Amino acid sequence: MVGSRLWRAGFRHQQRHVWQSILSVLGIALGVAVVMAVGLANQSASRAFEITMEQISGRVTHQIIAGSAGLPEQLFTDLRRQYPYLPSAPVVEGVVRIDEEQLTLLGLDPLSERPFRNLTLNAPPRVQNQLLTSRDGLLISTYSAQRLGLDTGSRITLDIAGTIQEAEILALFGDRREAALDGVLVTDIAVAQTLLQQFGSLDRIDLALDETQAAMLRDWLPEGVRLVETERRTAAMADMSQAFQTNLTAMSLLALLVGGFLIYNTATFSVLQRRRQFGIMRLLGATRGEVFRAILAEQMLIGLIGTLVGMGAGILLARQLLWLVTRTINDLYFALTVSQLELAPQILLTGSLLGLLTTFFAASVPAWEATRSSPQSVNRRSVIERRSHRALPWLLLIGIAGMAGGALLVQASERSLLMGFAALFCFIMGYCLLVPTLVPPLSRLLQHPLKWLFGTIGRLASRGIDATLSRTGPAIAALTLAIAATIGMGIMVESFRDTVGQWLAQTVQGDIYVTAPHSASKRASAPLPDWLLEQVEALPGVEDLSSGRHVTLESENGPVNLLAIGLAARSYRGFHFKGETLPDLWERFATGDLLLISEPYAYHNRLQVGDALPLLTPDGVVRFTIGGIFFDYGSDRGLVVMPRDRYATLWHDKQITTLGIYLQAGEPIEPLLTRIKQLAGQSERPLQVRANREILEQSLEIFDRTFTITRVLRLLVIAVAFVGIVSAMMALQLERAREHAILRATGLTPRQLLGQISLQTLLMGLIAALLAMPLGWLMAEILVHVINLRAFGWSMPSQLSPTILLEATGFALIAALLAGLYPSLRMARTRPALALREE
Amino acid sequence: MKWLCFLLLLLLLTGCTEPPAPAAKLSATGLLSTVDQAGFARATAPREFSFPRDHGGHPEYRNEWWYFTGNLQSNNGRRFGYQVTFFRFSLTPPGSVKSASSWAGNPVWMAHVAITDADGQRHLAEERLVRTGPGLAGVETEPFRVWVEDWQLDATGSTFPWRINITAREFKIVLELEGESSVGVILQGDQGLSQKSAQPGNASYYYSYPRMHTTGNITLDGTTFRVQGNSWFDREWGTSALSPDQTGWDWFSLQLSGGENLMYYQLRDSEGEPDPFSAGTLVSAIGQSRRLTPDDVELTAERWWQSPTGTRYPVEWSLRINSQNRTLQVKPVLDDQEMDLSVRYWEGAVDVYEQNRLTGRGYLEMTGY
Repeated sequence: MVGSRLWRAGFRHQQRHVWQSILSVLGIALGVAVVMAVGLANQSASRAFEITMEQISGRVTHQIIAGSAGLPEQLFTDLRRQYPYLPSAPVVEGVVRIDEEQLTLLGLDPLSERPFRNLTLNAPPRVQNQLLTSRDGLLISTYSAQRLGLDTGSRITLDIAGTIQEAEILALFGDRREAALDGVLVTDIAVAQTLLQQFGSLDRIDLALDETQAAMLRDWLPEGVRLVETERRTAAMADMSQAFQTNLTAMSLLALLVGGFLIYNTATFSVLQRRRQFGIMRLLGATRGEVFRAILAEQMLIGLIGTLVGMGAGILLARQLLWLVTRTINDLYFALTVSQLELAPQILLTGSLLGLLTTFFAASVPAWEATRSSPQSVNRRSVIERRSHRALPWLLLIGIAGMAGGALLVQASERSLLMGFAALFCFIMGYCLLVPTLVPPLSRLLQHPLKWLFGTIGRLASRGIDATLSRTGPAIAALTLAIAATIGMGIMVESFRDTVGQWLAQTVQGDIYVTAPHSASKRASAPLPDWLLEQVEALPGVEDLSSGRHVTLESENGPVNLLAIGLAARSYRGFHFKGETLPDLWERFATGDLLLISEPYAYHNRLQVGDALPLLTPDGVVRFTIGGIFFDYGSDRGLVVMPRDRYATLWHDKQITTLGIYLQAGEPIEPLLTRIKQLAGQSERPLQVRANREILEQSLEIFDRTFTITRVLRLLVIAVAFVGIVSAMMALQLERAREHAILRATGLTPRQLLGQISLQTLLMGLIAALLAMPLGWLMAEILVHVINLRAFGWSMPSQLSPTILLEATGFALIAALLAGLYPSLRMARTRPALALREE
Repeated sequence: MKWLCFLLLLLLLTGCTEPPAPAAKLSATGLLSTVDQAGFARATAPREFSFPRDHGGHPEYRNEWWYFTGNLQSNNGRRFGYQVTFFRFSLTPPGSVKSASSWAGNPVWMAHVAITDADGQRHLAEERLVRTGPGLAGVETEPFRVWVEDWQLDATGSTFPWRINITAREFKIVLELEGESSVGVILQGDQGLSQKSAQPGNASYYYSYPRMHTTGNITLDGTTFRVQGNSWFDREWGTSALSPDQTGWDWFSLQLSGGENLMYYQLRDSEGEPDPFSAGTLVSAIGQSRRLTPDDVELTAERWWQSPTGTRYPVEWSLRINSQNRTLQVKPVLDDQEMDLSVRYWEGAVDVYEQNRLTGRGYLEMTGY
């Protein structure tokens, strides 16, 4: 009997406090939505990669790969003549563009495909014939075709390394709902070689081997060629973007953590407002269990609604995040087309569970608290306040232990990214537990200036915070966390951007740079024409030139980026080394003994100055010594630098990819820029000629682009925090309606009450902002020095930006003010006597 | 199997003679079915043959093959039949695809090899299918060489002897073939122009070496047998041959004990009736050849055999030459000599009897069943 009354009472309460309920739902929904959206976007990207690799690799177990020049195709003939019974297929692979979209062009020999893939084999004979005989026929998946508005017979324009080529869609393959192989164009090997202008070489040979055959083949293969396991190679590629995706997940969990904390607050107040009611119910005969279950059920219902709304919002949000994630992966790691959001059940389940569990824990604490005390004492605030003040030393202790644990975890876990995040979360939770202890001294500190400024109302506002610490403590802790999260993420991104900006300014020493826009090969950047270097050198006003050749070498552990440079005198300044270098660095570098490696490369491969680094050249493995480790924020995969002469000799590759032009002192840049642009215009392929400044701007643009997703996440965390703050503070003030009524009854005008409430919420916002600053800064330190280092191998100074601190304070105060507004207006409209009677 | 390409075309035109190849199996059938004949040369009139030049390739024609069959005997009396064939199918006329890619616009090559082990009562066959690519397959005249991957026919320079070198999964064939015999080269049909149906150009250039003395080794189950015997070499190229209503053929190449050699093919229409363009040649021991027409030859199927794949083949025949009043009984060394490859057909070693006396050996090919 009493049980059902309890339920109805709960329902009535929610009905009367509909805004509060909506905010609770919104808080949970936002938290769940962010976690789910990031999870789904990440999962879709990973899955697209997996499926694409699976379909491209087919039943391939091993691959023969070579250096930047690819494999001579004669090797395939030799292989077939030597081992005709080993299933083998030649593959030519390149990157092409349709409009702005980047696609993979896969050139296969249909006659060799049977053991591996069905891509070309499922086509009807007419199409197979066309594939083998047409000059420019392609196959595309039904899904991609639909997405790009193409159909059988469509003519398409391909941008291949800046050159425009026409091609025809011969047929579509696959199911229209199946996004697998989205972004892959399949064609005959002859067509691929023709389109990519890559004659006489292959990108790889696919094989299906057992271990004995693999060992036999390894012995037979010539120097400079390597047999790798497909799985390992695919895994190494997937690893490239792993750190980035882990980071996103952790950021989304941060949003949930903030959300969870705020849910806890909302739930607490919702329960606390009804302590008296629960007390009465207990007196009427409701058991502890009944009250506990009723509270929990009510909060879980809110949690469930929030989770469902969050799920829907998460899916919508995931669609937006997906292209941001994909773009970043494309910018930083590898070409990947993800156009289909995969609603992975495990992510939906995890998101829902997180939402429900967070609500469960957030609601159990106040529910337990409400049922713990004896019916009479439930009514007495003083009991709780005394108790919560007594708990402070314990909270302090646990908090310090948590923070110390976090610090220890950072030390102990050395390189693990996940442990880094675990440490970060320990640290954050520890700090949050400290907050209630820090609130009383802070509020006392502010008491005098407030009294001086606002008189009694000021004092009331500040004393009230301390007096109701059991409520204000957690609320301020939640606020602190929310604000700190935005500060931490903000500082990290800003520090990163500043560092990259400075690094770019140092690295880009030349005045004008010439590059080919983008490459059709996955192995090397598009080369510049041979004649360009000499002609540019001969121009009046040019003092010096630097040249670079950018290639990707294959290794067991995935691709290695190599930059072979011919340095101008001034370009030495572009290198800034981390720690010591070997003596006579540049002399020895010039002779070709030494290599330079970038910081991420050193970090990921655990290399130090003086270590040996073997590299696979066409004539076999050559061992180099690492002369220095330089700062580089261009790639988190890392970069290996060697002199161009040495590279040209070892790899038989004299081409260059970039040309840096240094002008004579005082020479104006514009005329030469125009002149060089004219020269570049004579090239068959379009070339990019850019001034130093332009490169800096464009690089930062790309940087900003890749960080858009982080910024978006930060905004989402802010949104979660904002909603949470408003709902928590509002609930706090509503809970004190009786107190306010007494104040009104004792003579406070509505205006004064408004002032008092606003002042108190503002004060809480301010305290939270003040407390959030050290936490935010510490979070940023961990993000920059632990997480970034472990994820990407980058070290950088962190920079405390006042703008971010001000921004955070401002937003905390606005949220607090808004939160105070509704309860005080409501109170001001109500007659105090009524309020007293009601409560 | 000689007219594989013609058959393939035919299969597609008639539609249902053979069930379509499984989708995931790239079949020569499918590929060739859609090859346009435009742009290729046609065999419309007799030509001047010139050797060894004509042993080499004729890329201006769409199809071409080098076809060896033979009956061999080991020193210790074991009997083997063998087949080694290289087919070239061009998908585009030479020079029509302009690209520097070594894979562009080049022919598809197919090789079929088989061995019949009479004592072991088994028949083993294997296929290779590749495109020319960067030297995966091809033909060269000087020195003479035809190859598909590691399977190869070659000579030192361009003269006999020729060498066949085949390593298959289950057997190995290494042979040396001598072309200089009293019989020499035989031009089939009208001075080498073999008309296959009424339409002009539905013909091929066709010559044979009906009796090449052959020595070498055959390795089976790890044992190498020193063998010798006679091979029949057929060489044919053209662009199109059969007409739509011709559905298959039965083709005989028989080496008789008196030194005579008989080639006869009977084309069948969809009703199974002999086609008027069926033809053959009887070559005497000293190389004098005489054309055989359908009026002159009567073929009767004597016994049928059903293969494990369900196809029924007439494996025993009687072949009557009316003008000579002779009847030859043709019996297989082994019933199961079906070539279950991209295209399924029956090709196998046979014994020839005349008046119940063994009088020769040869090879029989049956398609379109």
